[in-house]
Amino acid sequence: MSNKYVEKGLTAPVNLTWEVSLACNLRCTTCLSSSGEPAHGELTTAEALELVEQVHQAGVFQINFGGGEPFMRPDFEEILAACHDRGIMTCISTNGTLIDAERVERLCKPKGLVAIQVSMDGARAETCDAVRGRGVFDRAVEAIKLLAGTPIPTSINTVLTRHNAEEIPAMYQLARALGVSLRVSRFRPSGRGADNWEQLRPTPTQLISFSHWLAESGDVRTGDSFFSLTSQERQGLGLNLCGAAKLTCCVGPTGNMYPCAFLQTERFKAGSLREQTFLEIWDSSAIYESFRSLRIHSCEDCQRFDQCHGGCPAVAWHLKNDLNGGDPECLERCVTSIAETRKEAAAA
Amino acid sequence: MHPACRVRREGFGLLFYDARGPRLLFAETGNLVPADFFATVRGSDEFPEGTSEQQKTVLRKFFGQLLQKGFLREQ
Repeated sequence: MSNKYVEKGLTAPVNLTWEVSLACNLRCTTCLSSSGEPAHGELTTAEALELVEQVHQAGVFQINFGGGEPFMRPDFEEILAACHDRGIMTCISTNGTLIDAERVERLCKPKGLVAIQVSMDGARAETCDAVRGRGVFDRAVEAIKLLAGTPIPTSINTVLTRHNAEEIPAMYQLARALGVSLRVSRFRPSGRGADNWEQLRPTPTQLISFSHWLAESGDVRTGDSFFSLTSQERQGLGLNLCGAAKLTCCVGPTGNMYPCAFLQTERFKAGSLREQTFLEIWDSSAIYESFRSLRIHSCEDCQRFDQCHGGCPAVAWHLKNDLNGGDPECLERCVTSIAETRKEAAAA
Repeated sequence: MHPACRVRREGFGLLFYDARGPRLLFAETGNLVPADFFATVRGSDEFPEGTSEQQKTVLRKFFGQLLQKGFLREQ
């Protein structure tokens, strides 16, 4: 990754995370945005289509759609079509419960422009449904089977938690058996994830084991969410720094822009698309500028600094109320935490 | 260009994106070649108008690298 270009600031994000609606038919315990009911004043169809045009004019390569459940929006396929008509690549993060054969057939039409991630949080129904709700595992598998028979690049997206960490290799096998790939995402303390943080956060031992497993599993994607755990073997496969406001940004359901999906609060609001254009906010937001110039000085002496540059500021903010504090769950801190626990146990 | 790839102009030159990774390529090409040059199928020895022989040598090497990295494909 050429950090010098990234830190200077690009003319537009490389990709955009767009949470098109807070509406969701599930109530997952790890949900980063506490989705359920739609947000008050979500973008209208006309506003959403105008945003697609602005994003196209800006030169954004890809939009990653999330929510909520994107397919809960009745006009979602219209928004998708507007993206594809302009050559914008899209990736949809879905719970899979609203995918049927007819929808899959429609999604196949824009060849090579859409990818789909179906969320599943365990290799067994019991583990997955404990997070996502009864019967969701089976419904997600059905959706994946429909998608796996098409040219649409499909992956299972799993949020790593304390309860499924031991099942990640089995998730990999399940994905392979279904003919799709596996993507593992980091659990972060935002939304309902904050409410359930202590029960679900992976232990330092689990994070280190996962880092080792990831090192041997080059075909597993992480959406760059684990760069704070990246081993030497995966260097070059993704980012070595937080891309928020540099390579990516987030648009929320009501048209507010944020550095990333995990910082959708008033404190981090970069601007409103109802008041400014997409590029005006990207170019002139003080919040974005503060992220571009963010340096985690407290981590600079760390031997792994070049590999993660301080890790995820969002996790540091949620857990320590300090963007500059360094990622509390980075590889070095996991190792230190285990060593301290052992020392305390020995002393006791 | 490969269908999974895109390119746009940046201050340093060209920024290539490959959705299959995803991965990025920052190419310090300056004004040597515009992004829309890659919008259509090109001959293997085709260059932007006004390209000097010296620049063609540089671009041949660059196009070869793009081909090797999968951003371009031969048809």
